[in-house]
Amino acid sequence: MSGGYIDELHEAFHSDLIYRSEDIPLDCSPKPKEMEQTLHGVMKLNGLIIRSLEEIAGRGANAVTYRAGKKFGHEVAKYFQKRDDVEGALHELSDLLRGQYSFEVWKPEDKETFIIEENGETFIYLVFHDCIVRQTLRRNGLDQGGPLCQTLFGYVVGAIEEITGRKAKLEIVHTGPNACLKKLVLK
Amino acid sequence: MDIHVDKDACVGCGLCVKDCPMHVYELQNNVSVAVRPNNCMGCLSCHEICPAQALEHRGIYAARRHYIDIKVCEMLRKVV
Repeated sequence: MSGGYIDELHEAFHSDLIYRSEDIPLDCSPKPKEMEQTLHGVMKLNGLIIRSLEEIAGRGANAVTYRAGKKFGHEVAKYFQKRDDVEGALHELSDLLRGQYSFEVWKPEDKETFIIEENGETFIYLVFHDCIVRQTLRRNGLDQGGPLCQTLFGYVVGAIEEITGRKAKLEIVHTGPNACLKKLVLK
Repeated sequence: MDIHVDKDACVGCGLCVKDCPMHVYELQNNVSVAVRPNNCMGCLSCHEICPAQALEHRGIYAARRHYIDIKVCEMLRKVV
């Protein structure tokens, strides 16, 4: 390795910036446009981790990722206001997920209410529009609905359980390139 | 939701009918017709699956697409 190259590297990583420990960054740095390579790198890495996990652990991969997501959901939601009503909890959840996922409560036109009771179970349809999991899967050419989706399931279930104190389950109804339909089953 | 099916382009394969979980489409005289557009939640699976690209949705929320590589798109724009 030539000395010139090392000097170039040193120069690239040197600046006159004075960074104090009390300095709190107020902006995302660098700008999002410059983060594109990082974002794609993270998506690629996540995709490869999930693919390898599936190859080694088989169906057990879903359990691992679901548990990871659930822990994350509980961890994040414990700082949020506790509520009894599911509607309020979903509102809290929507704030919680902002920037990573966006979803809306949805119902088919033949249903009168958003909380649907059918075949002895109570559930709510959620349509997930923006989703970092979908982005990652499509970036890597992976199928939707696999282990990486389980992290989102765990996340939502963990957060709902933490906010309402009620047990819940999230099921995939349909996955699409622009939105996914999920069923939040309340227990 | 306003769904438009290009009747001249539709080949009547019925893939959108089979794929849609909300039974938005029906085949009528070998052409797909959006019979329950209000049941559409905008997943756009039908767009992806339609071999004739005969579908058009209006008033839809387009999800963020971070996975599109800007540099690749810039190169494609130069070619296309």
